[in-house]
Amino acid sequence: MRLIRFICIFLFLIFICFCSPTQLVKPLQKGQRAAAITYGGPLIKFAGAPIPIPFTTLGFSYGLTSKITGYASLHTTSLIFGNLQTTVGGLFSLYEQENKFGLTVSPAIQTAYNIRNKTGFRIWPTLDLNAYYHPLQKPSFVYIGANSWFELSSLRAHNEPQANHIIPNIHAGYMLVKTKWQHQFEIKYLGLGIPNLPGVVDYIGISHKGALGIYYSLIRKF
Amino acid sequence: MKKVLFLFVVLFGSCAKLDNNLYNNDNKIKEYKLDDYTGEQDFILDDSYHIPPGLVTLLTLPSQADGESSSTEIKAIYIGDVSKINSDTVLLYCHGNKDHMDFYWQRAKLLAHVNGKNKYGVLMMDYRGYGLSKGKPGEKGMYADVSACMQWLKNNGLNNNRLIIYGFSMGTASACELSANAAPMLPDKIILEAPFASVAVMIQDASQLNMPADYFTDLKIDNAEEIKKCDQPLLWLHGKSDNFLNYKTHGQAVYKNYHGRYKESILIEGADHGQVPSQMGFENYLKLIGSFIRKP
Repeated sequence: MRLIRFICIFLFLIFICFCSPTQLVKPLQKGQRAAAITYGGPLIKFAGAPIPIPFTTLGFSYGLTSKITGYASLHTTSLIFGNLQTTVGGLFSLYEQENKFGLTVSPAIQTAYNIRNKTGFRIWPTLDLNAYYHPLQKPSFVYIGANSWFELSSLRAHNEPQANHIIPNIHAGYMLVKTKWQHQFEIKYLGLGIPNLPGVVDYIGISHKGALGIYYSLIRKF
Repeated sequence: MKKVLFLFVVLFGSCAKLDNNLYNNDNKIKEYKLDDYTGEQDFILDDSYHIPPGLVTLLTLPSQADGESSSTEIKAIYIGDVSKINSDTVLLYCHGNKDHMDFYWQRAKLLAHVNGKNKYGVLMMDYRGYGLSKGKPGEKGMYADVSACMQWLKNNGLNNNRLIIYGFSMGTASACELSANAAPMLPDKIILEAPFASVAVMIQDASQLNMPADYFTDLKIDNAEEIKKCDQPLLWLHGKSDNFLNYKTHGQAVYKNYHGRYKESILIEGADHGQVPSQMGFENYLKLIGSFIRKP
């Protein structure tokens, strides 16, 4: 049990970068606002069964135009550890067939700062690409996409070279759209192709690479 | 709104740190069982490695870290003849993060066979919060506990030039710290098995990002830096299949940063964390350690 706790704790370390929550896939209407709470995380083996580690994020988005939505989020799990981690980005519609199909891109900046020690300011750019599809032209839709974090630093601890500058993830999801509320369900494959061994974490990947994660977002539009 | 945000940040911002959750200690046991221990162990030696009960001494030592107002009682086991410490060579074994001394008993027993049965003394301790040692685990406390053992050895007549410090996994933190900085004794040689480089490397290996350690912990353990201060001969052992502490990002960083008078590395094919002695073969392992200790 203690070992499991140890492992769980380290999952928090890993997935500060992988806790990238479900993000906007479709732009909001101009002037429309939305608030979201995201819950979910990577899967680990717990007593032989896979369970997700719960991460939470609070987000807010605003439709700047009908094709561009700005958003910002606060990573509350990071905050528990005394780190102010935020995401600020924009979602751009690249192509849209009304209520049928669309492509979007979403560049963002992740920042983190240790507010306890007032040290360790870091910036990581991220990029999301998504394709969504409305089956039967209903408001709810399915989507697939890819996302990547970019590590800009050339060195890591002890001046050793930084091995990975691109940390790719892929995802697929379903957005259940109600009148004001939306429910977003997403599965991710985090750290695509990156070996997860050696490591202090026993999480569920594919052939000892990456980690699978499941996420849920509750979104309220205003 | 500003007040709410400020309160939110302050409340959360002063909360969790990982420090107290990183220790994998077990302090629920009522007694040490040693050879009778049936819990999980990395390996179990056969009867040829038996140690006569008269050469096993359970010790209770006071340990006091800087800034503490009182001492904490810790437990240690000495394998060998206590009355001969003033002339014997002693291996001070700093165990890893798991459970307590029963888990590491086979390892200590094995080391008592370096260069012949009970040729050298072996002292192993449970850090505070581990096994029957009182108190709570912590970095400063752990160093104080190993220092307390050094003090006991010194009180029994051991000289620096007959003290070999051996750290395994988490125990490499004490081995590096107390070989680099002022302590009751200064070890003559350092053996590191499956060392970790630093908390920062652990976090960066896990996150794949250049993330500072203090995002999550106040631990200052930094073997890759401490080893720079050491001049004593160094032996580094690491399994190439160590799936817990990467021998490249952890062990190699420590080894590379050592600039003392002599260093030797032994990388074991197919050995996972904790499997170095068994994968090498116990006799090969003993021969290697013995040869390193005998080196002038």
